[in-house]
Amino acid sequence: MGGVRWMAPAGLAAALLVPWMPAGGYQQYVVQVATFVLINAAVALAWDIQARTGQLSLAPAAFFGLGAYAYTMAALRGVPLWLAFALGPLAAAAVSVVLGVITLRLQGLYFAIATLAFAEVVKVIFKGLPVELTGGAVGLTAPPLLGGHQTGLYYLGLAVLLVTIGASLAVRHTRLHYAFAAIRQGELTARVLGVRVVRVKLLAFVLSAFLIGLVGAYATSRLFFVIPDDTFGIGISVSALATAIFGGVYTTAGPVLGALILRTLEEGLHILLRQGYLVVYGVILMVVILYLPGGLVGLLTRRRGRDAAAGD
Amino acid sequence: MDLFLQTLVNGLIQSGTYALASAGLALAVGVLHIVNFAHGEFLMVGAFTAYWLSVLVGVDPLLSLVPAGALLFVASGGIYRFSVRHVLLAPELNALLLTFGIAITLQNLAVLAFGATPRVVHTAYQLTSLSLGPISVGVAPLITLVVSVAVLSGMYAVLYRTGVGKSIRAVAQNRTGAYLVGLDVDRIYLLTFGLASALAAVAGAMVLVRIGASPQMGFAFVLKAFAIIVMAGLGNLTGVLWASLVLATGEAFVRTYVPGGGGWAEAVFFLLIFGTLVWRSWRQA
Repeated sequence: MGGVRWMAPAGLAAALLVPWMPAGGYQQYVVQVATFVLINAAVALAWDIQARTGQLSLAPAAFFGLGAYAYTMAALRGVPLWLAFALGPLAAAAVSVVLGVITLRLQGLYFAIATLAFAEVVKVIFKGLPVELTGGAVGLTAPPLLGGHQTGLYYLGLAVLLVTIGASLAVRHTRLHYAFAAIRQGELTARVLGVRVVRVKLLAFVLSAFLIGLVGAYATSRLFFVIPDDTFGIGISVSALATAIFGGVYTTAGPVLGALILRTLEEGLHILLRQGYLVVYGVILMVVILYLPGGLVGLLTRRRGRDAAAGD
Repeated sequence: MDLFLQTLVNGLIQSGTYALASAGLALAVGVLHIVNFAHGEFLMVGAFTAYWLSVLVGVDPLLSLVPAGALLFVASGGIYRFSVRHVLLAPELNALLLTFGIAITLQNLAVLAFGATPRVVHTAYQLTSLSLGPISVGVAPLITLVVSVAVLSGMYAVLYRTGVGKSIRAVAQNRTGAYLVGLDVDRIYLLTFGLASALAAVAGAMVLVRIGASPQMGFAFVLKAFAIIVMAGLGNLTGVLWASLVLATGEAFVRTYVPGGGGWAEAVFFLLIFGTLVWRSWRQA
Protein backbone atom coordinates (compact mmCIF):
# COMPACT_ATOMS: atom_id res chain seq x y z
CA MET A 1 0.00 0.00 0.00
CA GLY A 2 1.74 3.13 -1.24
CA GLY A 3 -0.24 5.47 0.96
CA VAL A 4 0.84 3.77 4.14
CA ARG A 5 4.47 4.50 3.41
CA TRP A 6 4.02 8.16 4.27
CA MET A 7 0.97 7.73 6.53
CA ALA A 8 2.87 5.77 9.18
CA PRO A 9 5.66 8.32 9.76
CA ALA A 10 3.14 11.17 9.54
CA GLY A 11 0.95 9.47 12.12
CA LEU A 12 3.88 8.88 14.42
CA ALA A 13 5.02 12.50 14.09
CA ALA A 14 1.51 13.71 14.89
CA ALA A 15 1.32 11.37 17.90
CA LEU A 16 4.68 12.66 19.20
CA LEU A 17 3.54 16.26 18.86
CA VAL A 18 0.16 15.91 20.63
CA PRO A 19 1.34 17.23 24.03
CA TRP A 20 2.89 20.26 22.32
CA MET A 21 -0.12 21.22 20.24
CA PRO A 22 -1.52 24.65 21.05
CA ALA A 23 -4.96 23.85 22.42
CA GLY A 24 -5.40 26.74 24.83
CA GLY A 25 -7.07 25.76 28.06
CA TYR A 26 -7.97 22.35 26.66
CA GLN A 27 -4.37 21.14 26.52
CA GLN A 28 -4.79 18.65 29.39
CA TYR A 29 -8.05 17.35 28.01
CA VAL A 30 -6.57 16.78 24.55
CA VAL A 31 -3.67 14.77 25.99
CA GLN A 32 -6.10 12.76 28.11
CA VAL A 33 -8.28 11.86 25.12
CA ALA A 34 -5.17 11.06 23.08
CA THR A 35 -4.03 8.71 25.86
CA PHE A 36 -7.37 6.91 25.75
CA VAL A 37 -7.00 6.58 21.98
CA LEU A 38 -3.61 4.93 22.51
CA ILE A 39 -5.09 2.52 25.06
CA ASN A 40 -8.02 1.55 22.84
CA ALA A 41 -5.81 1.19 19.79
CA ALA A 42 -3.38 -1.11 21.61
CA VAL A 43 -6.12 -3.37 23.03
CA ALA A 44 -7.90 -3.54 19.66
CA LEU A 45 -4.69 -4.35 17.79
CA ALA A 46 -3.69 -6.98 20.35
CA TRP A 47 -7.13 -8.55 20.00
CA ASP A 48 -6.76 -8.49 16.23
CA ILE A 49 -3.42 -10.34 16.32
CA GLN A 50 -5.20 -13.24 17.98
CA ALA A 51 -8.26 -12.96 15.74
CA ARG A 52 -6.01 -13.61 12.73
CA THR A 53 -6.06 -17.29 13.67
CA GLY A 54 -9.83 -17.25 13.19
CA GLN A 55 -10.64 -17.59 16.88
CA LEU A 56 -13.07 -15.06 18.28
CA SER A 57 -11.97 -14.30 21.83
CA LEU A 58 -14.39 -12.44 24.07
CA ALA A 59 -11.89 -12.36 26.93
CA PRO A 60 -9.84 -9.16 26.33
CA ALA A 61 -11.45 -7.64 29.43
CA ALA A 62 -10.13 -10.52 31.54
CA PHE A 63 -6.52 -10.03 30.43
CA PHE A 64 -6.80 -6.27 30.69
CA GLY A 65 -8.09 -6.64 34.25
CA LEU A 66 -5.47 -9.22 35.20
CA GLY A 67 -2.70 -6.90 34.00
CA ALA A 68 -4.25 -4.02 35.89
CA TYR A 69 -4.74 -5.95 39.13
CA ALA A 70 -1.31 -7.59 38.99
CA TYR A 71 0.30 -4.17 38.70
CA THR A 72 -1.83 -2.63 41.44
CA MET A 73 -1.61 -5.49 43.93
CA ALA A 74 2.16 -5.85 43.50
CA ALA A 75 2.78 -2.10 43.70
CA LEU A 76 0.69 -1.80 46.87
CA ARG A 77 2.79 -4.55 48.48
CA GLY A 78 5.97 -2.56 47.98
CA VAL A 79 7.23 -4.16 44.76
CA PRO A 80 9.21 -1.54 42.79
CA LEU A 81 6.81 0.15 40.38
CA TRP A 82 8.54 -0.83 37.14
CA LEU A 83 8.80 -4.44 38.27
CA ALA A 84 5.08 -4.35 39.15
CA PHE A 85 4.46 -2.89 35.70
CA ALA A 86 6.26 -5.87 34.15
CA LEU A 87 4.25 -8.28 36.29
CA GLY A 88 1.00 -7.10 34.66
CA PRO A 89 1.57 -8.58 31.20
CA LEU A 90 3.30 -11.63 32.69
CA ALA A 91 0.31 -12.45 34.88
CA ALA A 92 -2.08 -12.07 31.94
CA ALA A 93 0.13 -14.26 29.74
CA ALA A 94 0.46 -16.95 32.43
CA VAL A 95 -3.32 -17.20 32.85
CA SER A 96 -3.80 -17.21 29.08
CA VAL A 97 -1.52 -20.25 28.74
CA VAL A 98 -3.79 -22.22 31.06
CA LEU A 99 -6.99 -20.94 29.47
CA GLY A 100 -5.62 -21.50 25.97
CA VAL A 101 -4.51 -25.07 26.61
CA ILE A 102 -8.01 -25.87 27.84
CA THR A 103 -10.08 -23.99 25.26
CA LEU A 104 -8.15 -23.75 22.02
CA ARG A 105 -9.23 -27.22 20.96
CA LEU A 106 -12.79 -25.92 20.87
CA GLN A 107 -14.40 -24.87 17.64
CA GLY A 108 -15.27 -21.21 16.97
CA LEU A 109 -18.62 -20.86 18.66
CA TYR A 110 -17.73 -22.84 21.76
CA PHE A 111 -14.45 -20.95 22.07
CA ALA A 112 -16.27 -17.60 21.98
CA ILE A 113 -18.72 -18.71 24.66
CA ALA A 114 -15.98 -20.19 26.84
CA THR A 115 -13.87 -17.01 26.72
CA LEU A 116 -16.89 -14.82 27.49
CA ALA A 117 -17.77 -17.01 30.46
CA PHE A 118 -14.15 -16.87 31.61
CA ALA A 119 -14.08 -13.07 31.46
CA GLU A 120 -17.25 -12.92 33.51
CA VAL A 121 -16.08 -15.36 36.14
CA VAL A 122 -12.71 -13.64 36.66
CA LYS A 123 -14.70 -10.56 37.57
CA VAL A 124 -16.79 -12.57 40.03
CA ILE A 125 -13.63 -14.01 41.59
CA PHE A 126 -11.94 -10.64 42.06
CA LYS A 127 -15.13 -9.29 43.60
CA GLY A 128 -15.46 -12.28 45.90
CA LEU A 129 -11.88 -12.60 47.18
CA PRO A 130 -11.13 -11.13 50.64
CA VAL A 131 -11.17 -7.35 50.69
CA GLU A 132 -7.57 -7.15 52.02
CA LEU A 133 -6.44 -8.94 48.86
CA THR A 134 -8.34 -7.38 45.95
CA GLY A 135 -10.39 -4.64 47.55
CA GLY A 136 -13.63 -6.53 46.77
CA ALA A 137 -16.31 -4.76 44.76
CA VAL A 138 -14.86 -1.33 45.60
CA GLY A 139 -11.44 -2.08 44.08
CA LEU A 140 -8.10 -0.53 44.90
CA THR A 141 -6.26 2.73 44.43
CA ALA A 142 -3.25 2.26 42.18
CA PRO A 143 0.06 4.10 42.57
CA PRO A 144 0.86 6.12 39.42
CA LEU A 145 3.96 5.55 37.33
CA LEU A 146 6.32 8.47 36.61
CA GLY A 147 4.83 10.29 39.57
CA GLY A 148 1.61 10.72 37.57
CA HIS A 149 3.26 13.13 35.14
CA GLN A 150 0.68 13.48 32.37
CA THR A 151 2.95 14.10 29.40
CA GLY A 152 5.37 11.40 30.51
CA LEU A 153 2.52 8.93 30.84
CA TYR A 154 1.27 9.88 27.39
CA TYR A 155 4.62 8.96 25.89
CA LEU A 156 4.67 5.74 27.89
CA GLY A 157 1.28 4.93 26.35
CA LEU A 158 2.67 5.68 22.93
CA ALA A 159 5.53 3.27 23.68
CA VAL A 160 3.03 0.58 24.67
CA LEU A 161 1.16 1.07 21.40
CA LEU A 162 4.42 0.98 19.43
CA VAL A 163 5.35 -2.32 21.10
CA THR A 164 1.96 -3.71 20.06
CA ILE A 165 2.39 -2.40 16.51
CA GLY A 166 5.85 -3.97 16.45
CA ALA A 167 4.39 -7.33 17.48
CA SER A 168 1.68 -7.03 14.84
CA LEU A 169 4.21 -6.22 12.10
CA ALA A 170 6.47 -9.04 13.27
CA VAL A 171 3.59 -11.47 12.86
CA ARG A 172 2.68 -9.94 9.52
CA HIS A 173 6.14 -10.22 8.00
CA THR A 174 7.23 -13.65 9.17
CA ARG A 175 6.11 -17.17 8.34
CA LEU A 176 3.64 -16.87 11.21
CA HIS A 177 1.48 -14.75 8.94
CA TYR A 178 0.90 -17.70 6.62
CA ALA A 179 0.33 -20.07 9.52
CA PHE A 180 -2.30 -17.73 11.04
CA ALA A 181 -4.05 -17.21 7.70
CA ALA A 182 -4.02 -20.94 6.92
CA ILE A 183 -5.60 -21.79 10.28
CA ARG A 184 -8.21 -19.10 9.79
CA GLN A 185 -9.20 -20.43 6.41
CA GLY A 186 -9.44 -24.04 7.51
CA GLU A 187 -7.78 -25.90 10.33
CA LEU A 188 -7.75 -29.21 8.54
CA THR A 189 -6.02 -27.74 5.49
CA ALA A 190 -3.54 -25.96 7.73
CA ARG A 191 -2.73 -29.21 9.47
CA VAL A 192 -2.18 -30.94 6.14
CA LEU A 193 0.16 -28.10 5.14
CA GLY A 194 2.25 -28.89 8.20
CA VAL A 195 1.07 -26.12 10.53
CA ARG A 196 1.01 -27.19 14.18
CA VAL A 197 -2.46 -25.78 14.65
CA VAL A 198 -2.97 -25.86 18.41
CA ARG A 199 0.56 -24.64 19.10
CA VAL A 200 0.27 -21.67 16.71
CA LYS A 201 -3.17 -20.78 18.07
CA LEU A 202 -1.76 -20.88 21.58
CA LEU A 203 1.13 -18.65 20.56
CA ALA A 204 -1.28 -16.08 19.13
CA PHE A 205 -3.51 -16.28 22.20
CA VAL A 206 -0.67 -15.82 24.69
CA LEU A 207 0.99 -13.03 22.69
CA SER A 208 -2.33 -11.21 22.53
CA ALA A 209 -2.99 -11.70 26.26
CA PHE A 210 0.52 -10.48 27.12
CA LEU A 211 -0.01 -7.28 25.13
CA ILE A 212 -3.50 -6.69 26.52
CA GLY A 213 -2.14 -7.25 30.05
CA LEU A 214 0.56 -4.68 29.31
CA VAL A 215 -2.09 -2.16 28.28
CA GLY A 216 -4.10 -3.02 31.40
CA ALA A 217 -1.12 -2.32 33.66
CA TYR A 218 -0.39 0.88 31.79
CA ALA A 219 -3.99 2.10 31.85
CA THR A 220 -4.12 1.54 35.60
CA SER A 221 -0.93 3.48 36.21
CA ARG A 222 -2.66 6.27 34.30
CA LEU A 223 -6.15 6.01 35.83
CA PHE A 224 -4.96 5.38 39.41
CA PHE A 225 -7.62 2.79 40.35
CA VAL A 226 -9.05 -0.66 39.63
CA ILE A 227 -12.73 -1.60 40.09
CA PRO A 228 -13.95 -5.09 39.12
CA ASP A 229 -17.02 -3.86 37.24
CA ASP A 230 -15.00 -1.44 35.09
CA THR A 231 -11.56 -3.03 34.92
CA PHE A 232 -13.02 -6.43 33.96
CA GLY A 233 -16.06 -4.82 32.29
CA ILE A 234 -17.52 -6.24 29.10
CA GLY A 235 -17.14 -2.72 27.67
CA ILE A 236 -13.42 -3.33 27.22
CA SER A 237 -14.01 -6.42 25.10
CA VAL A 238 -16.79 -4.72 23.17
CA SER A 239 -14.73 -1.68 22.26
CA ALA A 240 -11.71 -3.86 21.38
CA LEU A 241 -13.49 -5.99 18.85
CA ALA A 242 -15.76 -3.27 17.52
CA THR A 243 -12.72 -1.01 17.01
CA ALA A 244 -10.76 -3.69 15.16
CA ILE A 245 -13.71 -4.71 13.02
CA PHE A 246 -14.58 -1.11 12.20
CA GLY A 247 -11.03 -0.23 11.27
CA GLY A 248 -10.40 -3.44 9.37
CA VAL A 249 -9.54 -6.84 10.79
CA TYR A 250 -6.28 -8.68 10.10
CA THR A 251 -4.39 -5.42 9.49
CA THR A 252 -2.09 -3.29 11.63
CA ALA A 253 -3.44 0.05 10.45
CA GLY A 254 -7.12 -0.88 10.86
CA PRO A 255 -7.43 -1.12 14.66
CA VAL A 256 -5.26 2.00 15.16
CA LEU A 257 -7.34 4.00 12.69
CA GLY A 258 -10.54 2.59 14.21
CA ALA A 259 -9.49 3.64 17.71
CA LEU A 260 -8.63 7.15 16.58
CA ILE A 261 -12.08 7.67 15.11
CA LEU A 262 -14.23 5.67 17.55
CA ARG A 263 -12.60 6.83 20.76
CA THR A 264 -12.84 10.47 19.72
CA LEU A 265 -16.47 9.88 18.80
CA GLU A 266 -17.06 8.14 22.13
CA GLU A 267 -15.51 11.07 23.96
CA GLY A 268 -17.91 13.43 22.22
CA LEU A 269 -20.89 11.22 23.05
CA HIS A 270 -19.63 10.89 26.60
CA ILE A 271 -20.12 14.63 27.05
CA LEU A 272 -23.66 14.41 25.69
CA LEU A 273 -24.68 11.17 27.43
CA ARG A 274 -23.42 10.17 30.81
CA GLN A 275 -24.12 6.51 30.25
CA GLY A 276 -25.18 4.32 27.36
CA TYR A 277 -22.61 5.73 24.95
CA LEU A 278 -21.54 2.15 24.19
CA VAL A 279 -24.54 2.16 21.87
CA VAL A 280 -22.28 3.55 19.18
CA TYR A 281 -20.11 0.42 19.32
CA GLY A 282 -23.17 -1.80 18.98
CA VAL A 283 -24.47 0.06 15.95
CA ILE A 284 -21.04 0.11 14.33
CA LEU A 285 -20.62 -3.64 14.83
CA MET A 286 -23.96 -4.28 13.13
CA VAL A 287 -23.36 -1.91 10.24
CA VAL A 288 -19.82 -3.10 9.52
CA ILE A 289 -20.74 -6.79 9.65
CA LEU A 290 -23.66 -6.21 7.29
CA TYR A 291 -22.30 -3.65 4.85
CA LEU A 292 -18.56 -3.16 5.23
CA PRO A 293 -16.80 -6.51 5.60
CA GLY A 294 -13.24 -5.14 5.28
CA GLY A 295 -13.79 -2.21 7.61
CA LEU A 296 -12.26 1.19 6.88
CA VAL A 297 -8.99 -0.22 5.58
CA GLY A 298 -10.94 -2.50 3.26
CA LEU A 299 -12.86 0.52 2.01
CA LEU A 300 -9.72 2.59 1.44
CA THR A 301 -7.81 -0.14 -0.38
CA ARG A 302 -10.82 -0.93 -2.55
CA ARG A 303 -11.01 2.75 -3.50
CA ARG A 304 -7.51 2.48 -4.86
CA GLY A 305 -8.66 -0.26 -7.17
CA ARG A 306 -7.06 -3.10 -5.28
CA ASP A 307 -8.70 -6.17 -3.87
CA ALA A 308 -9.71 -5.87 -0.27
CA ALA A 309 -7.06 -8.38 0.68
CA ALA A 310 -4.92 -6.16 2.84
CA GLY A 311 -4.44 -8.91 5.37
CA ASP A 312 -4.04 -11.93 3.18
CA MET B 1 -32.91 -31.42 56.32
CA ASP B 2 -35.45 -28.58 56.17
CA LEU B 3 -32.82 -26.25 54.82
CA PHE B 4 -31.86 -28.86 52.25
CA LEU B 5 -35.46 -29.23 51.05
CA GLN B 6 -36.00 -25.49 50.99
CA THR B 7 -32.87 -25.05 48.89
CA LEU B 8 -34.02 -27.77 46.53
CA VAL B 9 -37.42 -26.11 46.10
CA ASN B 10 -35.79 -22.71 45.46
CA GLY B 11 -33.61 -24.31 42.81
CA LEU B 12 -36.57 -26.04 41.20
CA ILE B 13 -38.49 -22.77 40.92
CA GLN B 14 -35.50 -20.94 39.46
CA SER B 15 -34.99 -23.73 36.94
CA GLY B 16 -38.40 -22.94 35.41
CA THR B 17 -37.29 -19.43 34.52
CA TYR B 18 -33.94 -20.69 33.24
CA ALA B 19 -35.59 -23.30 31.04
CA LEU B 20 -37.92 -20.69 29.60
CA ALA B 21 -35.04 -18.26 28.99
CA SER B 22 -32.86 -20.85 27.29
CA ALA B 23 -35.48 -22.79 25.29
CA GLY B 24 -35.72 -19.95 22.77
CA LEU B 25 -31.96 -19.80 22.44
CA ALA B 26 -31.81 -23.56 21.90
CA LEU B 27 -34.58 -23.32 19.30
CA ALA B 28 -32.69 -20.66 17.32
CA VAL B 29 -29.45 -22.64 17.52
CA GLY B 30 -31.13 -25.86 16.51
CA VAL B 31 -33.05 -24.49 13.54
CA LEU B 32 -31.14 -21.45 12.26
CA HIS B 33 -27.72 -22.63 13.49
CA ILE B 34 -26.90 -19.23 14.95
CA VAL B 35 -26.12 -18.38 18.55
CA ASN B 36 -28.14 -15.29 19.29
CA PHE B 37 -26.25 -13.06 21.71
CA ALA B 38 -29.18 -10.67 21.73
CA HIS B 39 -31.50 -13.27 23.24
CA GLY B 40 -30.92 -11.86 26.72
CA GLU B 41 -31.74 -8.37 25.49
CA PHE B 42 -35.00 -9.69 23.99
CA LEU B 43 -35.74 -10.97 27.49
CA MET B 44 -34.95 -7.52 28.87
CA VAL B 45 -37.23 -5.81 26.35
CA GLY B 46 -39.99 -8.27 27.29
CA ALA B 47 -39.53 -7.41 30.97
CA PHE B 48 -39.71 -3.68 30.28
CA THR B 49 -42.76 -4.10 28.07
CA ALA B 50 -44.52 -5.86 30.92
CA TYR B 51 -43.28 -3.21 33.34
CA TRP B 52 -44.62 -0.28 31.35
CA LEU B 53 -47.91 -2.03 30.64
CA SER B 54 -48.27 -2.53 34.36
CA VAL B 55 -47.30 1.03 35.31
CA LEU B 56 -49.05 2.96 32.55
CA VAL B 57 -52.08 0.81 31.72
CA GLY B 58 -52.39 -1.20 34.90
CA VAL B 59 -52.18 -4.61 33.24
CA ASP B 60 -51.10 -7.36 35.61
CA PRO B 61 -47.47 -8.22 34.75
CA LEU B 62 -48.37 -11.89 34.46
CA LEU B 63 -51.02 -11.16 31.86
CA SER B 64 -48.72 -8.91 29.87
CA LEU B 65 -46.63 -11.89 28.87
CA VAL B 66 -49.06 -12.14 25.95
CA PRO B 67 -48.52 -8.61 24.54
CA ALA B 68 -44.82 -8.77 25.41
CA GLY B 69 -44.47 -12.05 23.52
CA ALA B 70 -46.43 -10.67 20.58
CA LEU B 71 -44.34 -7.50 20.44
CA LEU B 72 -41.07 -9.45 20.44
CA PHE B 73 -42.43 -11.88 17.84
CA VAL B 74 -43.07 -9.00 15.45
CA ALA B 75 -39.98 -6.93 16.32
CA SER B 76 -37.60 -9.84 16.01
CA GLY B 77 -39.22 -10.71 12.69
CA GLY B 78 -38.05 -7.30 11.54
CA ILE B 79 -34.59 -7.89 12.96
CA TYR B 80 -34.44 -11.19 11.11
CA ARG B 81 -35.53 -9.67 7.79
CA PHE B 82 -33.10 -6.75 7.93
CA SER B 83 -30.05 -8.30 9.52
CA VAL B 84 -29.86 -11.89 10.73
CA ARG B 85 -31.06 -13.29 7.42
CA HIS B 86 -28.09 -11.78 5.60
CA VAL B 87 -25.45 -13.52 7.67
CA LEU B 88 -26.95 -17.01 7.82
CA LEU B 89 -24.71 -18.26 5.04
CA ALA B 90 -21.64 -16.25 6.10
CA PRO B 91 -19.03 -17.72 8.47
CA GLU B 92 -20.65 -18.45 11.82
CA LEU B 93 -18.61 -15.80 13.61
CA ASN B 94 -20.33 -13.09 11.55
CA ALA B 95 -23.71 -14.05 12.98
CA LEU B 96 -22.18 -14.07 16.42
CA LEU B 97 -20.70 -10.59 16.02
CA LEU B 98 -23.88 -9.24 14.46
CA THR B 99 -26.10 -10.44 17.30
CA PHE B 100 -23.48 -9.22 19.76
CA GLY B 101 -23.84 -5.79 18.15
CA ILE B 102 -27.63 -5.99 18.40
CA ALA B 103 -27.31 -6.92 22.07
CA ILE B 104 -24.98 -4.01 22.89
CA THR B 105 -27.24 -1.61 21.00
CA LEU B 106 -30.46 -2.73 22.70
CA GLN B 107 -28.88 -2.77 26.15
CA ASN B 108 -27.52 0.75 25.85
CA LEU B 109 -30.67 2.09 24.24
CA ALA B 110 -32.47 0.76 27.30
CA VAL B 111 -29.98 2.56 29.55
CA LEU B 112 -30.60 5.76 27.61
CA ALA B 113 -34.36 5.39 27.68
CA PHE B 114 -34.95 4.04 31.19
CA GLY B 115 -31.77 4.77 33.14
CA ALA B 116 -29.67 2.10 34.78
CA THR B 117 -31.72 1.77 37.99
CA PRO B 118 -33.67 -1.48 38.35
CA ARG B 119 -37.48 -1.26 38.20
CA VAL B 120 -39.86 -3.38 40.22
CA VAL B 121 -43.60 -3.98 40.07
CA HIS B 122 -45.88 -4.37 43.06
CA THR B 123 -48.73 -6.87 43.09
CA ALA B 124 -50.69 -8.49 45.87
CA TYR B 125 -49.45 -12.00 45.18
CA GLN B 126 -45.78 -11.01 45.49
CA LEU B 127 -46.22 -10.56 49.22
CA THR B 128 -48.03 -13.79 50.03
CA SER B 129 -46.42 -17.17 50.42
CA LEU B 130 -47.58 -20.72 51.00
CA SER B 131 -46.21 -22.89 53.77
CA LEU B 132 -45.84 -26.60 53.30
CA GLY B 133 -44.60 -27.91 56.62
CA PRO B 134 -41.21 -26.30 57.20
CA ILE B 135 -40.91 -25.13 53.59
CA SER B 136 -42.32 -21.83 52.41
CA VAL B 137 -42.79 -20.81 48.82
CA GLY B 138 -43.76 -17.37 47.56
CA VAL B 139 -46.92 -17.32 45.48
CA ALA B 140 -45.31 -15.23 42.74
CA PRO B 141 -42.37 -17.62 42.17
CA LEU B 142 -44.82 -20.52 42.19
CA ILE B 143 -46.97 -18.85 39.53
CA THR B 144 -43.91 -18.20 37.36
CA LEU B 145 -42.99 -21.89 37.62
CA VAL B 146 -46.50 -22.89 36.55
CA VAL B 147 -46.44 -20.42 33.66
CA SER B 148 -43.02 -21.67 32.56
CA VAL B 149 -44.19 -25.27 32.55
CA ALA B 150 -47.33 -24.31 30.63
CA VAL B 151 -45.49 -22.25 28.01
CA LEU B 152 -42.80 -24.88 27.51
CA SER B 153 -45.46 -27.61 27.18
CA GLY B 154 -47.15 -25.40 24.61
CA MET B 155 -43.89 -25.11 22.70
CA TYR B 156 -43.36 -28.87 22.68
CA ALA B 157 -46.97 -29.37 21.59
CA VAL B 158 -46.46 -27.00 18.67
CA LEU B 159 -43.18 -28.64 17.68
CA TYR B 160 -44.32 -32.25 17.93
CA ARG B 161 -48.08 -32.15 17.32
CA THR B 162 -48.64 -29.61 14.54
CA GLY B 163 -47.78 -29.30 10.87
CA VAL B 164 -45.80 -26.11 11.47
CA GLY B 165 -43.81 -27.88 14.15
CA LYS B 166 -43.07 -30.69 11.74
CA SER B 167 -41.81 -28.17 9.18
CA ILE B 168 -39.59 -26.52 11.77
CA ARG B 169 -38.13 -29.87 12.77
CA ALA B 170 -37.59 -30.78 9.13
CA VAL B 171 -35.65 -27.57 8.47
CA ALA B 172 -33.61 -28.13 11.62
CA GLN B 173 -32.73 -31.62 10.48
CA ASN B 174 -31.78 -30.78 6.92
CA ARG B 175 -32.18 -27.40 5.35
CA THR B 176 -31.63 -28.56 1.79
CA GLY B 177 -33.85 -31.58 2.18
CA ALA B 178 -36.66 -29.42 3.56
CA TYR B 179 -36.23 -27.03 0.65
CA LEU B 180 -36.39 -29.89 -1.85
CA VAL B 181 -39.69 -31.19 -0.49
CA GLY B 182 -41.16 -27.73 -0.99
CA LEU B 183 -40.86 -26.03 2.39
CA ASP B 184 -40.29 -22.27 2.41
CA VAL B 185 -37.11 -22.38 4.48
CA ASP B 186 -36.78 -18.61 4.82
CA ARG B 187 -40.33 -18.40 6.20
CA ILE B 188 -39.66 -21.16 8.69
CA TYR B 189 -36.53 -19.35 9.81
CA LEU B 190 -38.49 -16.14 10.28
CA LEU B 191 -41.17 -17.95 12.24
CA THR B 192 -38.67 -19.80 14.43
CA PHE B 193 -36.66 -16.68 15.19
CA GLY B 194 -39.90 -14.90 16.13
CA LEU B 195 -41.04 -17.76 18.35
CA ALA B 196 -37.65 -17.97 20.06
CA SER B 197 -37.73 -14.25 20.81
CA ALA B 198 -41.31 -14.43 22.06
CA LEU B 199 -40.19 -17.13 24.52
CA ALA B 200 -37.48 -14.76 25.73
CA ALA B 201 -40.07 -12.02 26.24
CA VAL B 202 -42.29 -14.33 28.30
CA ALA B 203 -39.28 -15.26 30.41
CA GLY B 204 -38.63 -11.53 30.82
CA ALA B 205 -42.12 -10.95 32.20
CA MET B 206 -41.56 -13.80 34.67
CA VAL B 207 -38.26 -12.30 35.84
CA LEU B 208 -39.98 -8.93 36.25
CA VAL B 209 -42.52 -10.46 38.63
CA ARG B 210 -39.89 -12.28 40.67
CA ILE B 211 -37.00 -9.80 40.70
CA GLY B 212 -37.51 -6.72 38.56
CA ALA B 213 -36.26 -5.23 35.30
CA SER B 214 -32.99 -3.49 34.49
CA PRO B 215 -31.16 -2.80 31.22
CA GLN B 216 -28.31 -5.14 32.21
CA MET B 217 -30.49 -8.11 33.19
CA GLY B 218 -30.24 -9.69 29.76
CA PHE B 219 -26.51 -10.24 29.89
CA ALA B 220 -26.64 -12.31 33.08
CA PHE B 221 -29.40 -14.45 31.63
CA VAL B 222 -27.78 -14.99 28.26
CA LEU B 223 -24.60 -16.23 29.93
CA LYS B 224 -26.59 -18.71 31.97
CA ALA B 225 -28.61 -19.70 28.94
CA PHE B 226 -25.32 -20.37 27.14
CA ALA B 227 -24.26 -22.63 29.98
CA ILE B 228 -27.55 -24.47 29.72
CA ILE B 229 -27.54 -25.00 25.96
CA VAL B 230 -23.88 -25.97 26.00
CA MET B 231 -24.60 -28.58 28.67
CA ALA B 232 -27.64 -29.79 26.80
CA GLY B 233 -25.77 -29.94 23.50
CA LEU B 234 -26.37 -27.10 21.04
CA GLY B 235 -29.94 -27.19 19.79
CA ASN B 236 -31.10 -30.02 22.03
CA LEU B 237 -34.48 -28.87 23.37
CA THR B 238 -35.11 -31.69 25.81
CA GLY B 239 -31.63 -31.37 27.26
CA VAL B 240 -32.44 -27.77 28.15
CA LEU B 241 -34.85 -28.98 30.84
CA TRP B 242 -32.42 -31.05 32.88
CA ALA B 243 -29.56 -28.65 32.25
CA SER B 244 -31.68 -25.82 33.70
CA LEU B 245 -32.37 -27.97 36.71
CA VAL B 246 -28.66 -28.69 37.22
CA LEU B 247 -27.69 -25.02 36.96
CA ALA B 248 -30.51 -23.68 39.14
CA THR B 249 -30.16 -26.23 41.94
CA GLY B 250 -26.37 -25.90 41.78
CA GLU B 251 -26.68 -22.16 42.29
CA ALA B 252 -29.22 -22.58 45.08
CA PHE B 253 -26.96 -24.98 46.98
CA VAL B 254 -23.91 -22.76 46.61
CA ARG B 255 -25.97 -19.82 47.85
CA THR B 256 -27.16 -21.73 50.91
CA TYR B 257 -24.13 -23.76 51.92
CA VAL B 258 -21.03 -21.83 50.82
CA PRO B 259 -20.03 -19.00 53.18
CA GLY B 260 -20.56 -15.70 51.40
CA GLY B 261 -22.20 -17.81 48.67
CA GLY B 262 -24.36 -15.05 47.17
CA GLY B 263 -21.48 -13.91 44.98
CA TRP B 264 -20.03 -17.34 44.26
CA ALA B 265 -23.36 -18.61 42.97
CA GLU B 266 -22.71 -16.38 39.96
CA ALA B 267 -19.69 -18.56 39.11
CA VAL B 268 -21.59 -21.87 38.93
CA PHE B 269 -22.60 -21.35 35.32
CA PHE B 270 -18.96 -20.93 34.39
CA LEU B 271 -17.92 -24.19 36.02
CA LEU B 272 -20.69 -25.97 34.12
CA ILE B 273 -19.72 -24.43 30.75
CA PHE B 274 -16.08 -25.20 31.30
CA GLY B 275 -16.63 -28.65 32.68
CA THR B 276 -18.83 -29.60 29.74
CA LEU B 277 -16.63 -28.09 27.05
CA VAL B 278 -13.42 -29.52 28.41
CA TRP B 279 -14.95 -32.94 28.88
CA ARG B 280 -16.31 -32.91 25.31
CA SER B 281 -13.17 -31.61 23.64
CA TRP B 282 -10.84 -34.03 25.40
CA ARG B 283 -13.16 -36.96 24.79
CA GLN B 284 -13.09 -36.17 21.08
CA ALA B 285 -9.37 -35.53 20.92
